[in-house]
Amino acid sequence: MFFHNFKYALKKLIRNRMLLFWTFAFPIILGTFFSMAFSDIENSEKLHVIDIAIVENDVFENNLLYKETFLALGDKNSDEQLFSIQYVDLAQAEELLSKDEIVGYLFLDKTPQIVIGANGINETIFKYVVEQIGQMEDVFQASLENKLRDSKDLTSLDSWYVELYQQTMEYFNKEQAMIQDISSTHLNYTMIEYYTLIAMTCLYGGILGMNVINQCLANMSSNGKRTSISPSSKWKLIFSSALAGYIVQVFGLLLLFLYTIFVLQVDYGSHFFLVVLLSLIGSFAGLSLGVFIASLFPSNENTKFGIIISVTMLGCFFSGMMGITMKYVVDQSFPLVNYLNPANMITDGLYALYYYNTLDRFCFNLVSLFLFSFVLILISIFSLRRQKYDSI
Amino acid sequence: MGKAVVSVKKLTKQYKNLKAIDNLSFDVFQGEILGLLGPNGSGKSTTINCILSLLNFSKGSIQIFGKEMDPSAYDLKREIGVVFQDVAVFDELTVFENIDYFCGLYISDKQTRRKYVEDAIHLVGLEEFQKFYPKQLSGGLLRRLNIACGVAHKPKLIILDEPTVAVDPQSRNNILDGIRFLRDQGSTVIYTTHYMEEVEILCDRVIILDRGKVIASGTIDELKKLAKLEEKVTVEVYDLDLKYIEEIKSFRNALEVSYHNGVLLVTYKKGKDNLVEIMEYLKKNKICYHKIFSERPTLNDVFLELTGKELRD
Amino acid sequence: MIVFRTFLKILKSCKAPIILYTVLLVFFAGFNMESNDSTSNFTAEKPDLLIVNHDESFGFTQHLIDYLEENTNVVTTLDNEDQINDALFYRNLNYVIYIPEHFREDFLNHKNPQIQVKSTGDYMGSLTEMMLSQYLRLADIYNTIFEDEDEMLEHLSKSLSNKTKVEVTSKLDTNQLSRIATYYNFLNYCILAGCVYVVCLILFSFKKDTIRKRTIVSSMNYKSYNRQLLFSNSLFVFVLWLFYVLLSFLLFGTSMVTLHGMFYILNSLVFSICALAIAFLIGNLIYNREVINGIVNVIALGSSFLCGAFVPIDFLPDFVLKIAHVLPSYWYIQTNESVKLIEEFDFLHLKPVYFNWLMLLIFFLLIIMITNVISNRMRKKEN
Repeated sequence: MFFHNFKYALKKLIRNRMLLFWTFAFPIILGTFFSMAFSDIENSEKLHVIDIAIVENDVFENNLLYKETFLALGDKNSDEQLFSIQYVDLAQAEELLSKDEIVGYLFLDKTPQIVIGANGINETIFKYVVEQIGQMEDVFQASLENKLRDSKDLTSLDSWYVELYQQTMEYFNKEQAMIQDISSTHLNYTMIEYYTLIAMTCLYGGILGMNVINQCLANMSSNGKRTSISPSSKWKLIFSSALAGYIVQVFGLLLLFLYTIFVLQVDYGSHFFLVVLLSLIGSFAGLSLGVFIASLFPSNENTKFGIIISVTMLGCFFSGMMGITMKYVVDQSFPLVNYLNPANMITDGLYALYYYNTLDRFCFNLVSLFLFSFVLILISIFSLRRQKYDSI
Repeated sequence: MGKAVVSVKKLTKQYKNLKAIDNLSFDVFQGEILGLLGPNGSGKSTTINCILSLLNFSKGSIQIFGKEMDPSAYDLKREIGVVFQDVAVFDELTVFENIDYFCGLYISDKQTRRKYVEDAIHLVGLEEFQKFYPKQLSGGLLRRLNIACGVAHKPKLIILDEPTVAVDPQSRNNILDGIRFLRDQGSTVIYTTHYMEEVEILCDRVIILDRGKVIASGTIDELKKLAKLEEKVTVEVYDLDLKYIEEIKSFRNALEVSYHNGVLLVTYKKGKDNLVEIMEYLKKNKICYHKIFSERPTLNDVFLELTGKELRD
Repeated sequence: MIVFRTFLKILKSCKAPIILYTVLLVFFAGFNMESNDSTSNFTAEKPDLLIVNHDESFGFTQHLIDYLEENTNVVTTLDNEDQINDALFYRNLNYVIYIPEHFREDFLNHKNPQIQVKSTGDYMGSLTEMMLSQYLRLADIYNTIFEDEDEMLEHLSKSLSNKTKVEVTSKLDTNQLSRIATYYNFLNYCILAGCVYVVCLILFSFKKDTIRKRTIVSSMNYKSYNRQLLFSNSLFVFVLWLFYVLLSFLLFGTSMVTLHGMFYILNSLVFSICALAIAFLIGNLIYNREVINGIVNVIALGSSFLCGAFVPIDFLPDFVLKIAHVLPSYWYIQTNESVKLIEEFDFLHLKPVYFNWLMLLIFFLLIIMITNVISNRMRKKEN
């Protein structure tokens, strides 16, 4: 009997195209969108070439430091190119700025002055570079004075001058030896998106559980009435149906993993076994959500379906699916929301696994998911225990 | 009469402010087809759901095969087959699979089940549609599948809740034949419907429910005797003066007289020679008529008379 | 008005998803106002920095800290490494500097002490790194020139205070405009999802019942029936649009009562009309109620992700943006992005906006044409 019902529950699920769309196809489609939208995000966060103009006047022509530095920074053949520079007169510079073709221009008078369109990252970099050249001038001046103070011999001033100039330039081009970057290597922003995707797939799996359980309950569907009057134990029916739901769900998850790993080239890191473990528990949480909604909400299947989709979407939204900032803001400002949010438990668990060296936070999320499922299942059992209803 | 298969005693089911079933008692005997009649909302489906132990009820007891019915009375459930009002089949399963699934909830032996499923398919005449999905079936075929799912496990007690709603005449005949066949095989049948002609040709005994109470029960002939009207005379006459209608109303046995679209309908309480009386009256007044015939009342008339003629939801 | 009444009845039954989309929108817009989105708009140019100092706050070390405090937004609340890593990951912190023990001493003795750092690796991180390395470089140079710490620091301070004169020509409140643009970009999802979902559901319900209804309402001819349907749906889209616009007034107040605000509103109206056409097209194509939900999500989420409604458009790779050209959402979001930067509302500056609207209009006409062809073919098939 158990196997009979299990077999048919499985058959019903894999023939239901709508359910398969949500649990199998939709995550894969969404994953494809993610990979398209985020494929460049890490790269584009790095600096790129900035369009600027420099007003060519006598002051600029005669200032070797400025001239040489900008020549180097504007070198198209260099990997270090920071600027794309147009050398123009003041009127042209103003026009270029008003057309938004450059972020700003440099106007060298007694003091350097830059004119920019608006405040922004590129403008700031421009400003810093100009300031740095000013500082180079300072250094040059200071070392010159220092030399002069130490030695009264002015005959070799010219050679000093050149030497000092080269020395200063060298200093500024020297690789920074004093800074050692110890950032975590796994700082991949996009991963959270894939985590929310896994969370979504786990929770959408609840639709399968909901569907099969709904068909075992006399007060929920007419098929349920028919199964209820048969001489089969209700628990056997429910358990075998739920098992079938879970298996199909895990299969969907497997497809998602295969697709993301082999087609989208997502790297889940070294703890792949733990990723799978969390996903399996996450699927169980999804299943219990489905069972809970199937047994407690006295409405038709379409409504229940809508509830699961909405709850999942909202959960994923709070755990960062549509912008990572959301997760952090909720974590900070409304921690309770995300403690109770199963989508976040999955996302956060995966994130913790990837980002921390310890497993504390991962385990915390794992336990939370267990508790979440346990509570939902417990409540569902109380409702499922009823065999006779007050109304059908 | 055989022994009681179902015995309902003083059953009461109370919803918030509505008594759906009010102190209802009746028995269903071995080998009979019992018609359960009643207008919408009279409590037929509720009674059935109570018998099946799907609904809680406030008072009373229900015994099936002499044992108290209970959700975990699996030995009793094994012997009951139900065909509900709504078509309850799985869209994802084929005709064969649907029957096999439901049958499998009762019969675990594979070979027996296979035979039973084939018998059920044969019973409702769906042999050619075994591989079809419910969505590909017409309304009538779907109803037949619904029945096959309910009775495939060869139950001793079969409950059919309006199985022929919205069914074409061919399918209906097939279904009714099937039900008679099942009775002949030794099953007891409880049958609820709105269609009086079905009851008249099918049921051995009828119980009429209204507002959760039995208002009449007995064989069809017994019920017909209960009714006040005995005879109905229909005359096709094109032109009839109002004064004649008034005069006809004053006939000895006349109960009601109506005249619509050239059809004069006279119902009589009882008595003999009613037809002769009216024929002579018409002749005497030189009224031309085309057709005249007398009928015995149908169950429909009885039903309407007992439950009232006003429209109900 | 029977069509309209039925319409309202159906609308009532699908209020849940509309509420959901709105909740998402409000959260999205609301949170974006709280958290200063470091990527799309940064004006104060002050990265968030954490200094973990293991040295004594004295002399050169203190000078470094003072300099950083002056130029960055120094965060003090985080203390454990997990919190730091979290904050870095979510870009709540851009840079962490670990000053080692005996830093000052080692530095002054030319021992080249190492400063450990953690960076987000984004714009802000790079900026901080630039600032820090500039400081260290200067200090390093002066340290070789001058023996005396005080003299060195004096020169260092002087050089660092050497600020360039900056003139900003724009007078726009880019921060607020970015927020509004973010809100209206997210609206892409809400309008598209809301329109397609509701209109499809309604068209489908009417399609299913057409024959029955036509016999019941035999006095109403097919054309008037269609007109009423179109009117009802348009009215719904209009109300939906109005609702979201009012919401933006609530969130952004008087900033909406500007020319910029006007253009955002107008743009969303143009897009809503286009969304209505899309909804009609899909509503005509579907034959099964169950697929509506799926189609809505794929279309709305798809065009939102690919056209930059969720992810800032600068981050999208070129090939995605090229693909996005075929989606109306792209032109809608492009307009929002260009309105953000407009300073003078003359024809020259508005040209891209008008062009985008023209594109939306072309999309609208194209979709309507396709819808007509399809529905005609379907009607013929039915006959």
